[in-house]
Amino acid sequence: MKLRSLRKGALLVTCSALLIAAVTLLGILAFLYSNSSGGREWGVSLEQLSDALTWDGTAYTFSGEDLLEPDRWMMLLNEEGRAMWSFHKPDDVPEQYTVSDVASFTRWYLNDYPVQCWVREDGLLVVGSPKGSVWKHDMAMDTHTLLQTPIWFAGGFLLTLGSVLVLAWLVLRRWFRQEQRVRDAARSNWINGVSHDIRTPLSVVMGYAAQLEDAADLPPVHRRQAAAIRAQSQVIRDLVNDLNLTMRLDYDMQTLRKETLQPAAFLRQTAADFLNGGMAEGFGLEMDLPETPLPEIAADPFLLRRAVNNLLTNCVRHNDPGCPICLGARAEGKELVFWVEGGAMAGTMQPDTARPLEPDGGAAHGTGLRLVAQIAAAHGGKAEFYSGTPYRCELRLPVKG
Amino acid sequence: MAYRILIVDDEPALQSMVNEILTQAGYETDAALTCAQALERFHAAAPDAVLLDVMLPDGDGFSLFGKLHAIGDVPVLFLSARDEDAARLRGLGLGADDYITKPFLPQELLLRLRAVLRRVYREEANTARLGDMEIDWGKGTVRRNGRETALTAKEFALLKKLWEARGNIVTVDALCAALWDGPLVGYENTLMVHIRRLREKVEADPSHPQFLLTVRGLGYRLKREETP
Repeated sequence: MKLRSLRKGALLVTCSALLIAAVTLLGILAFLYSNSSGGREWGVSLEQLSDALTWDGTAYTFSGEDLLEPDRWMMLLNEEGRAMWSFHKPDDVPEQYTVSDVASFTRWYLNDYPVQCWVREDGLLVVGSPKGSVWKHDMAMDTHTLLQTPIWFAGGFLLTLGSVLVLAWLVLRRWFRQEQRVRDAARSNWINGVSHDIRTPLSVVMGYAAQLEDAADLPPVHRRQAAAIRAQSQVIRDLVNDLNLTMRLDYDMQTLRKETLQPAAFLRQTAADFLNGGMAEGFGLEMDLPETPLPEIAADPFLLRRAVNNLLTNCVRHNDPGCPICLGARAEGKELVFWVEGGAMAGTMQPDTARPLEPDGGAAHGTGLRLVAQIAAAHGGKAEFYSGTPYRCELRLPVKG
Repeated sequence: MAYRILIVDDEPALQSMVNEILTQAGYETDAALTCAQALERFHAAAPDAVLLDVMLPDGDGFSLFGKLHAIGDVPVLFLSARDEDAARLRGLGLGADDYITKPFLPQELLLRLRAVLRRVYREEANTARLGDMEIDWGKGTVRRNGRETALTAKEFALLKKLWEARGNIVTVDALCAALWDGPLVGYENTLMVHIRRLREKVEADPSHPQFLLTVRGLGYRLKREETP
């Protein structure tokens, strides 16, 4: 797949380079042609040849034999179209010409000989070249068009160059993305694999610890120790869960399954589930919902519940032996704000979702809160954290349009 | 009669732990480490429910689920270390009765297994006891001190919903959804009226309820009482 993509990219770049080279070449040729003397000079200047042919009052003398190539020939026609003088003129070239003959060969060929003409005071100098040696064509162009030609060429060149650059950029971006995807998939698979492998032994640890915690025949101190093992195992479980999800959100591997949610009902259910799961003693959970109905939102209930749960869990985890926790929602313009407030969260910082996860997976720096920020961002919203007492976090989500 | 549970997991330590949890809770157990063993034990032991791991050495739990279902219609709970939405949805989409993600607490496993067994085998008793009051689900009545009071349809649905989740909070939204169809906005006040009337029938002192408790801002909770 990667090799195929590379080949395609290389082919695209090569074609683009060839295209730009061809266009540039055409532009150069056109430039040279437009700067030549209308195709009059085929090796030697006609003016020089004409100057080399002089009339001494009795006969013509030609002193430019060295100027003319051996296979070329010359003749001078007078006003009546008769050849008054010639040099190396082939036998199949006539001596007499009509006006239409002259008009034809000045443009095209004389008996298939490509010829050039030079007007002199005493007639018309005709210089011929071997048959098939020069291709002549008639070219006429509107002056306005001619003046615009450089602009067209420049425009075409820039357009081609732009196209090539865009193509190259697309190809490069694709390469980079593919590379990135491969790296992301490898990293995600690794984390998935590790978390998968942790889950089973953690089940055993949690399971036995919970059983020992409830064992009536154990001394209280051992039961407390078992409870600590069980509680810390749950922390590891939550960390593994958060790490997995944060990675999936980081690499766009988590599909959002959005549903229309009634915020008040959603929040009540989330709070009820949290309380039903068993909240530590000393904590109290209160709801603060407005009397007026809240606007609906389109959100993934699983992810949103995870975000609110993380905030509640953090409040409980960092505020032993207990504190009041308040959970609420309000509408603000086009936003719906879920908020959790309670206790204090020393060292809480604004998680930076744009920052890639640190090598340690951010485990030591509040992966749970980072996940909250990621979930808000995935829904087109944001999370705001206010440190201090009481600690407060707000999830701002767009209301359903 | 104790239910027999077949545990299919390739990890002996986990299998042993689940086995202990279930045995202590009064279940009979059988175990298999592979798909092949699971099929063989399924035929031989005729379990009442199966706890099924997704990743097994000789196949995956999803395929095995299909084979088990072709043999007999027994409730299956996936017990998997795969927590992705796709895996969970696939398991439940196939028709599994539950999908439990590892790691789990023993109590969670027992509660979820019990809920499935109760639902599938309809082991719900026809009567239940709430303090000194007896609820007759068949007749839709409550009886205290020999005096029987009939419940209205709404009161019955309300009490049933709370009883099914007894010990846990049931939100006003969930109660409204159990009582009425369609959009549920605006039913809260009517629900309060039904709750008040229900309390008059199930509580000795409705002004100071002992069983049907209000959880402010959230909903209601029926205090857990064991059935006789």
